[in-house]
Amino acid sequence: MARSRLPELGPHLSSAGVFLVLRRMRAPLIVLIVIFAVSVLGLSLVPGVDDEGRPDRMSLFDAFYFMAYTATTIGFGELPHEFTAAQRMWVTLSIFLAVVGWAYAIGSLLSLMQDPGFRQALARRSFTRAVRRISEPYLLLVGYGNASKILARSLDDMGRRFVVIDSQSTRVSSVELDAYRADAPALLGDARDTGLLTLAGLGHRACAGVIALAGDDETNLDVAITTALLRPELPVIARSSSRAVAERMRAFHVQDVVNPLDRFGDHLRILLRSPAAYQLMIWLTSSPGTPLPERFPSLPHGRWVVCGHGRYGDELSADLRAEGLDVTVVHVAGGRVLAGEGDSAHVVESGHVAEAVAFVAATASDTTNLWLVEAARRANPDAFVVALQNRRANAPLFAAVGVDFGMVPAEVIAHEVLARLANPVLMRFLPQVPRQADGWAERLVERLVATCGDGTPDLWRIRLDAAEAPALTHRLAGAGLRLEDLLRDPADRDTALDIVPLTLLRQDERTITPTGDVQLRPEDQLLLAGRLRARAALDTTMTEEPTASYVLDGRRAAASWVWRRFSRQDPAGEPR
Amino acid sequence: MNLEKVVFGFFVLLAATLNFGFFIGDLGKPELHSVYELFAAVAVNLVATVLKFGDRTQIGAVHLATSLVASLQLIAAAVVWTYAANVLTDGTLTVEQSAAVVSLSGGALFANVVSVVLLVIETVSFQRR
Repeated sequence: MARSRLPELGPHLSSAGVFLVLRRMRAPLIVLIVIFAVSVLGLSLVPGVDDEGRPDRMSLFDAFYFMAYTATTIGFGELPHEFTAAQRMWVTLSIFLAVVGWAYAIGSLLSLMQDPGFRQALARRSFTRAVRRISEPYLLLVGYGNASKILARSLDDMGRRFVVIDSQSTRVSSVELDAYRADAPALLGDARDTGLLTLAGLGHRACAGVIALAGDDETNLDVAITTALLRPELPVIARSSSRAVAERMRAFHVQDVVNPLDRFGDHLRILLRSPAAYQLMIWLTSSPGTPLPERFPSLPHGRWVVCGHGRYGDELSADLRAEGLDVTVVHVAGGRVLAGEGDSAHVVESGHVAEAVAFVAATASDTTNLWLVEAARRANPDAFVVALQNRRANAPLFAAVGVDFGMVPAEVIAHEVLARLANPVLMRFLPQVPRQADGWAERLVERLVATCGDGTPDLWRIRLDAAEAPALTHRLAGAGLRLEDLLRDPADRDTALDIVPLTLLRQDERTITPTGDVQLRPEDQLLLAGRLRARAALDTTMTEEPTASYVLDGRRAAASWVWRRFSRQDPAGEPR
Repeated sequence: MNLEKVVFGFFVLLAATLNFGFFIGDLGKPELHSVYELFAAVAVNLVATVLKFGDRTQIGAVHLATSLVASLQLIAAAVVWTYAANVLTDGTLTVEQSAAVVSLSGGALFANVVSVVLLVIETVSFQRR
């Protein structure tokens, strides 16, 4: 089916290295053979004498033997008989010819080893082999920039495999330097080439998804479309920095489009509504084991000044106005203020920073952002300062200049992608977070910390169907089951497991943080947060009949079939 | 006219003709088979083999295979001759030894004929295109 649509690779791409060697070595090898043949033949024909001075010629074998050790400059010195002058003349000529031949052959071979094309062919070959050997599900990572690095580290921590394609050789070699626990094959090449994507395992049955985080939208769009057309069943997460590209991706049913600049506005809005909701969101989308991030104080409401770049500044201010703020926009292009002289004093003046409660520096250049922040700080030391930190490496500079809230696009992308990968259900929970009532997020954070500890909780999804919860099917269909009862500890049913239910999905209806007395129904899905130990315990309840019986009813059911027949009460003991 | 094709065809054909020249004659009579002709056949066959390196097409792969077979058979024949002439006897081969050498080269001749047939097929199909 879908796989047959992939371009046929054939053996040529993977064995290109060998063919290249053979093709390039053709001329040197022929020269060598000809020189050897001529010298051997000549030596066997040139007249000589034996020890007693009778005319004698070397046999072909003797001549071959002599030339073999002479031409390779080994110079053994063993001769059947002393050479005559004629033989010496011929041998002298042969030696010069042979040395040139060998030098040519070895030189060609060495220069071939240095040849970038040959090295790339070899690298590609070992890459193909490494990808083919992966047996567990893996992700195809297109682009290896800052965002991809953060993401790759988290994926590695989660024990997930990935394959990298990037068009810059320095980035590809940095994959090796980054030292991941699992082997991460990396390919140098343009991901827009469908053949390369196939080489990287787009058609591999273990390929679990494609993540396109390349620097340019063109590549991401191309990768998204290629995947959507060739492997429509694979999930694609693509980054785009413009709405137009995102629209085109959506036209190919690529739902997960991450726009870091768009998300900046969203994050600010959430932070404005509820710092706790923001804290919760960041925490749940962090890599496993991340401690609870600090909660921001409530953002000031009043006049905000936004320094942005063109359309982007407008969008950001529209987001902020939607939250009921009074926003002044100052347009900045390429580090220069459009309206005036281009000095920071002018920006600060035109934006009335002195009277503002908050200042946002959101241009595409970190240098510009830094000087904007610096100027704003001087004009108004009390203002809340927000800055877009385009490069992750500049974080210390922003910290030094005194930014209250900074956003690094690379980190945002990594968080977003991770959340989508870790749990598709989480993506149905997160958008609901800012919409909850006051105090809800604070309570949930407290509850999560109390039950799961300080590190990011493990998030997982369960579905109450015959496949995932065979021990519960009878009860769900019959007497009914309360959520609270399901989450009891199999070791002692009076204590609850360390699990916080985040969402209940029933067909298209969702309940955020369902309470303990919710009645569960077959085919319900739950998004849970908790510790790994609790997850294992819940798995037992869902799959083991006796455990389920104890946890739900407090009855110690017989484990064996015979005893169950005797007790005749267990639902599983009913004749089929 | 393509010079590469001329050289290629020349060596493939020369390998076959030299091989045939050595093979023809009574199997058991070493005096009917020139050792220099065997030497030339080995050398030309090796050159023909190297010329076929690096062709990725299907017909190129079969070409290379036939040449490898021919070269190996001829080298085997040369080794047998050398061993027989220098170690077992003194200069002249016995009937059995001569038969072994010539029949080995006969096998190589078969591979060379296949090679020539492939060359002809390639040429014919090229003209039709």
